[in-house]
Amino acid sequence: MERLEALFPRLCGTAYRITSPASDVYNCIAWAAGDTARWWWPGDPTRTYWPDGVPRLETLAAFRDAFATLDYDACEQADPETGFEKIALFADAEGRPTHAARQLSDGTWTSKLGLSEDIQHGLADLVGDVYGSVVLILKRVAPPSVLETKV
Amino acid sequence: MATNPVGTAPAATETIEERFRRLETQWRAETGHLSSSSKIVGHPAFREIIRMGTVVIPLMLRDLEQQPRLWVWALPEITGDDPVPVAHRGDIVKMTAAWLDWAKEHGYR
Repeated sequence: MERLEALFPRLCGTAYRITSPASDVYNCIAWAAGDTARWWWPGDPTRTYWPDGVPRLETLAAFRDAFATLDYDACEQADPETGFEKIALFADAEGRPTHAARQLSDGTWTSKLGLSEDIQHGLADLVGDVYGSVVLILKRVAPPSVLETKV
Repeated sequence: MATNPVGTAPAATETIEERFRRLETQWRAETGHLSSSSKIVGHPAFREIIRMGTVVIPLMLRDLEQQPRLWVWALPEITGDDPVPVAHRGDIVKMTAAWLDWAKEHGYR
């Protein structure tokens, strides 16, 4: 916990919790996309997965397009909406994407922290020097399986 | 998080595995929270591990036998080979399996 709070000081004193062991198998983008089998990143195609047809560029537009392949579209606000799933994209001061978090049905967020653990947290808790700030919120109609689990 | 210089520890008595583990520890400490593959493989400690060359292959393969690891991103640079089918790129579990098969074929296991 101390390691995470040193990296993300806004976690201190919040109700965040670690929800998985560390894993090299998937990263934050994959976790936000609901994929725990692959490492999503637009880098070297011999190393990472990136959706077909989306430019392998570390730009906000490319990340938005990657999530568009899963039917996500930009929206205005991060508050939970019944029947919708939301993703928040973080970027550094130069606008380069750094992280993605996925909203849970109770309005909290879940993140895979690189090679480290998954955590459940508040959206603002990860804002800071490491991931920068939230620059884009995406949403899609929740698939039936998700709606069923919310009941 | 700041990246510390690599290779600052006394090397005279350090074995290959000790050096490998020291660099691995630094690399994971300084990139473990990142998702960017370019930042992860570009980290100075990761580059230094790759520069150690073929002596680290058995160490990486031993780790891969325990669990899927991002050593699958280093092995192509060290070996000049890439046994991972295009369809499995990015799937760290399947990439690990491909490298363990490669290890058998090349007499490492």
